[in-house]
This record gives sequence, C-alpha cells and structure tokens, in this order.
Amino acid sequence: MISASPDPSAVSDAPGSHGIPAIQVRGVDFCYGSHKVLKDITLDVPNNEVVAFIGPSGCGKTTLLRCFNRMCDLVPDARVTKGEIIIEGANIADRSIDPVQLRRHVGMVFQKSNPFPRSIYDNVAYGPRTLGEKRQTVLDEVVERSLRRAALWDEVKDRLQDMATGLSGGQQQRLCIARTMAVDPEIILMDEPCSALDPIATAYVEDLILELKEHYTIVIVTHNMQQATRVSDRTAFFYLGELVEYSGTRQMFENPTDKRTEDYLTGRFG
Amino acid sequence: MQHHILKDFDQAMNTLRGEVLTMAGLARVNLERAMQALFERNLELANAVIADDNEVDELERRVDQLGMDVLVRFHPVASDLRLVVTAMKISMNLERISDHAVNISKRARKLCATPVLPDVNLLEPLYTLADHLLRDAISAFSDRNAVLGESLHARDKELDRLHRDATATFGSRIEESGRSEEYLHLILIVRSLERVGDMATNIGENAVFLDVARDIRHDPARKTKPPVVEG
Repeated sequence: MISASPDPSAVSDAPGSHGIPAIQVRGVDFCYGSHKVLKDITLDVPNNEVVAFIGPSGCGKTTLLRCFNRMCDLVPDARVTKGEIIIEGANIADRSIDPVQLRRHVGMVFQKSNPFPRSIYDNVAYGPRTLGEKRQTVLDEVVERSLRRAALWDEVKDRLQDMATGLSGGQQQRLCIARTMAVDPEIILMDEPCSALDPIATAYVEDLILELKEHYTIVIVTHNMQQATRVSDRTAFFYLGELVEYSGTRQMFENPTDKRTEDYLTGRFG
Repeated sequence: MQHHILKDFDQAMNTLRGEVLTMAGLARVNLERAMQALFERNLELANAVIADDNEVDELERRVDQLGMDVLVRFHPVASDLRLVVTAMKISMNLERISDHAVNISKRARKLCATPVLPDVNLLEPLYTLADHLLRDAISAFSDRNAVLGESLHARDKELDRLHRDATATFGSRIEESGRSEEYLHLILIVRSLERVGDMATNIGENAVFLDVARDIRHDPARKTKPPVVEG
C-alpha cells in the first residue's frame, strides 16, 4: 500500500493482484497553470499487461504517464485539478502521497538512456542502497537478478566494475531498465524508450518488454506505431488532451472505432 | 476518404485498387466471351479467351507485387491494411475465375466440332446467375458494401441448386442421347459456373472484411439465417 509517509515495511514485493487494475484513472483533468492538457481521462491499466499510449505530439500522453509517478510535480504550477489516479489502493494524485515512496512502486525509463557516471554495478545497486540496503550479498543478488531480467547479465557479468557510460546505447537503455527493476516496482513507465536506439537495440528492448510483463505492469509512450502493435496488449489514443479510444491493440490497429483514431493511424491526420 | 500525408501512399493504394478492378473487369469479360463462344459456336472467340488469360495472370502477379510493396514501404493499418489483404485475396479468386473461363472456352471449341446440341441453352440461367454474383461481388469490393457482399452467400445457394439440377439432367442424357462426350463437357461447364459462384461469394466475404472488418467465412450462423437484402 502506498501511504503518505515513507515506510519501507509497507511495500509489497509482489506484483499487484489480478482483478484489480494496476492503475485506475478516474476523470482526471491536468493543468499547466491555466492551460488544461488532460480532459476527464478515465482508463484502467490491468496488471501484467503492456499498455501503449499513442497520439500526436502535445496530445497529453506523456503528461499522463508522468502523473503515474508524480514526475509532473517537477514542473511549477502543474497539477491534477480533478479526478483520481489510484495505484495500490491510494490516490497518488493526492499531494499527501510521498512521491519518493511512490517511485519505489512505479519506476520510469526515459527516452534517452541516462546511466550515472559510475560502474555498471553501482548503477543497478543505487536504488536499493538509497533505500537503506547495505548488505553486500543482498546487493549482489539484486544486481544479478535485475541484470538478468533486463537480458544484460550475460553481456556484462565479467565487467560489472566497468563504467556504465562505456556500454552501447542499447545496453545503456537496458541498464536503465535493470536499475529501475532493482527497487522491485510493480509498474514500469517507459517514455519512448527506443527512440534513440538502432533497430537491433530496439528489438532487444522490445523483446525485453514482452519478457517483463510476466512480472510487471508496463505503460509505454511511443510514436512508433509498429512498436505499439508488437509489444502492447492495449493501446490508448490521445488527441488534444482527450482519450479518444482505448481498446485491445489488435482491435485498434485492425478496426478502430473512432474516425480520429483511424485518421491518425493511417496517416490522414490533417 | 481524406488524403494521406504521403502522396506516394495514396498513389500506391489507388493503383492497387485500380489493378484489382481492371482484373475483375477482364475476368468477367473473359467469362462472358467464353459463354458467348459456347452459345454461338464461335471458335475465334473461344481462342481469344484462351489467349487473353495471360493478361489476367500478369495482373495477379502485379497485384501481389503492389501489395507487398505497400506492406514493406508503408506498414498500413486499419482499413488500409484490410484493402491490401483483400486486394491480394480477391485477385487470386479472379485469376481462378478467368481460368474457368478458359476451361469453358476449351470445351466450347470441342463442342464446335460436333453437331449442334440444343441443351446447351439450359446453361443460360446458370451463367446469368453466376455473372450477377460476380458483378455484385466486384461492386461490393469497389463500393465497400458489406451488405451486398454478405448477400452473395445465400444467392450462391440458388446457383448450387441449379448446378445440381443441370448435372442430373445432363447425367441422365449421357446414356439416352448417345452423345455422352458432349454432355460430359456440359456437366463440367456447369461445374465451372458453380465454382465461379463460389469464388464470387469469396470475393463478397472479402468485401465484408474490407468494409466492416468482420470475418464471415465459415460462419455457422449464416447456414441457418441468410441475410436479408433490400432492393
């Protein structure tokens, strides 16, 4: 349960239970100052599924993604002005929720890989250390498990003390995913995680996403329609701050119900 | 439909659709000329149908190439994807319809070499129905008309009935007329017309998928409840 005060003992390591959605968005409005960028958004993100957010630039998809771990708090005058975002039974849009503790449950992978200028090992161990873990054996286990889940272990196991910045772009992005997983979140947010990667590195990350949904719920923002069709179970299409359509990915890409979705997907957005 | 941001895409899709419709027109004309050659004992026309089938074969290859090209270059989705998929499937059916026109022409040539057989005229209603099914299947595709496309299945049942009746009639005359070879040709021509009806139905099913993204092939509900078509 996510609570108002940091309390490590209250954090469950297990993925969220099936049945209750991992994320419930209920009638959310979001404003930057007086400018409303999300309008009455309602959607559920089911457990252990991959949900893709798509839409033209400025449609609000990244803003909603950032609401899920309160990254939007970093922007002055930006706030949820209506509605609820419920994760683990708590309305995380409520300002009393501690964002640091929330981010322990809801990790994020960014567009550009951003490893710390430290060793591969230290990058992955950073989160658990920050949460107070000092036991070397536990840290070793966490680092190995996270790197294995990120499909990076075999490539780096013999050079864990090398600088992370020496890895290739695709490896750095998988390292960032491993770093996110090291604090054992239930939900992983991905903001265009492959936009800076070549096709091979992209394929590795996409393959990883499909592997990870066994353990995590994943929400991914992407401008790559083919990527959305390959990795996601459901897709949400946003336009001008509205959630236009939210359905199974295959359904949306084969037969969207809203004309705006069809026009966007087929390149007839004018 | 609104224009695509990529002009090349619109052009490729228009070309693809146009080639399928050209192919449909040719296949239908080939069938018409094959039947005309049969009814009028016109050897030249029969030979022309056989010669012109190459054009339909070439169009089938072209539609496949265009379809593959669109898939590789543009990754179409939604109704665009359905158009590419259905265009390739429909072209395959049209090529086979043209093959049946060739089969009919070859049998017409053989019948031209024998005395007039008045029972050839019994094929007229079968051809008319098969041609109407084909005409409506093409319209269902070109107009994206799911209702018309779905109606073909029930109407094809009538062609099946005519096929059974004609086969029984010609079968009984094989022995009693002493012209077994000619009647055998007629039975096989009837079978070709029945197959044209089946392929027109396939095209109608593809038109339904194109229009409303519904796959009605092998749908058990249609066996008991034929759709009602207005007009």
